[in-house]
Amino acid sequence: MKLTQAFKKKEFVITSEVGPVKGCARNGHNAAFIAEAATIQPYVHAFNVTDNQSAVMRLGSLAASVLLKQAGLEPIYQITCRDRNRIALQSDLLSACTLGIDNVLCLTGDHLKMGDHPTGKGVFDIDSVQLLDIARGLNQGHDMMGHELTAATDLALGAVVNPNFQPLDLQLLKMEKKIAAGAEFFQTQAVYDPKLFEAFVRKVEGVGVPIQFGLVLLKSPKMGTFMNERISGIKVPQALIDEMASVPPEGYKDKSLEIATRLLKEISPMVQGIHFMPLGWSDLVPQLASTARDAAR
Amino acid sequence: MIGTAKKPFDEILAALKGFQKIGMVGCDGCAKVCLTGGSDEVAALAQELKTQGKEIVFEASPERTCNMAKAKPVLDPLKDKIQASDALLVLGCGGAVQIARYVTETLGLTLPVKTGLNSVGHMDTTVPGQIAIEQCQECGDCILNDTGGICPVTKCAKGLLNGPCGGSEDGKCEVDPARDCAWVLIYNRMVALGEVDNLKKFVGAKDYSKAAKPRTLYIKEGRVA
Repeated sequence: MKLTQAFKKKEFVITSEVGPVKGCARNGHNAAFIAEAATIQPYVHAFNVTDNQSAVMRLGSLAASVLLKQAGLEPIYQITCRDRNRIALQSDLLSACTLGIDNVLCLTGDHLKMGDHPTGKGVFDIDSVQLLDIARGLNQGHDMMGHELTAATDLALGAVVNPNFQPLDLQLLKMEKKIAAGAEFFQTQAVYDPKLFEAFVRKVEGVGVPIQFGLVLLKSPKMGTFMNERISGIKVPQALIDEMASVPPEGYKDKSLEIATRLLKEISPMVQGIHFMPLGWSDLVPQLASTARDAAR
Repeated sequence: MIGTAKKPFDEILAALKGFQKIGMVGCDGCAKVCLTGGSDEVAALAQELKTQGKEIVFEASPERTCNMAKAKPVLDPLKDKIQASDALLVLGCGGAVQIARYVTETLGLTLPVKTGLNSVGHMDTTVPGQIAIEQCQECGDCILNDTGGICPVTKCAKGLLNGPCGGSEDGKCEVDPARDCAWVLIYNRMVALGEVDNLKKFVGAKDYSKAAKPRTLYIKEGRVA
């Protein structure tokens, strides 16, 4: 099912995320990531399947997306520009549609230096805006050079935006380009400051494209500090890190739920959906999804 | 200029293994600016090689070893000494090394031509004697007219053409927090110039055929092929 259909029906769209394993998952082996996703299937519309996230080599996002589909789950196939040139990207989009994928999220991709193959050569032949434009072309029945396809793709095209970005106007400029290039829905980078998110939402009122608030579950104070120091584009307020640190480690999960609940109550009314990045705590998603839906009503 | 950095001495010795008589060719152009291959650096490395038992047959540093017009007048008269050498060691960019080899071929000589440097890019000197930075990829299709005179193809680690990636934070690049995000620089420059609306234009996929290597520049015709 294309996510765009759910947005059109004014459903509050909940998605979660799975990271493919670093290994072969043939014949159902090594597929715990699918089992984790399956446990929350009734509570979400679809699952992002990350593409060698953080530039760490893993099972491909297309193969993992197909495995999800075979397991009856709805994948959002993430595709980045880091590892493929324009021929490979277009070919993979054709492959994705051929294999039954309905949703694709077009990203630039983390730089190789961030991952486990830092000596590799980054491709970045095209960027995420161009990729959206190219994917739209495939939907219209032609490749990026204008050559006609024997059959067009039919993919819902998603994109990302980072409300933490400074200067925000530059990020919005790129967001507008993505919309003009064919983006049909957005997922945001993780944001932990409702005021900052509200300022972003006010700026994008009227863009006419649904936005899902991105929420990475904060699992420990250490994780908050790590994200501030090592993950570009995410800012965790010190007050939240301190709040997390105010409880013993066995209380982190309850505190994480409490913080996420608070954020969702404030932010859900501003958006058309939530994108959870639970990092192994998928069992919190059902309750949080319910909180978000209630808050959005 | 072409930036160069010295190879580790052990690597140079390994490249010269089995060769006793060494002819040394520097470059008093870019390599001199980089303090890697001018006359002074050639002399210094020659001394080091002597301490390792090598015999230095000659030292020469053309003004631009990458240019036949400069290299040949210096090296041609050294034909006998080149012939007497077991190998040449060039302290210049990769182009200088290959021009030096080419000169030996025009002299009818066949001997190994080794390099003592690594070429590290088209570099612009910002602090003479200290800092040179990479600002141009020679992509063959310059877009500086549209980006406030700041090149995203080079200065953005991902070469993005339509704006920054999500990894930029506080104006710095995710790859190296000490490095400015090229797109924040471009944006600020375009705001200052009153041209920020130009950044709203969609920039299509780059024509990398213009950078397809190896290119030949036909100087008189101004043609690249």
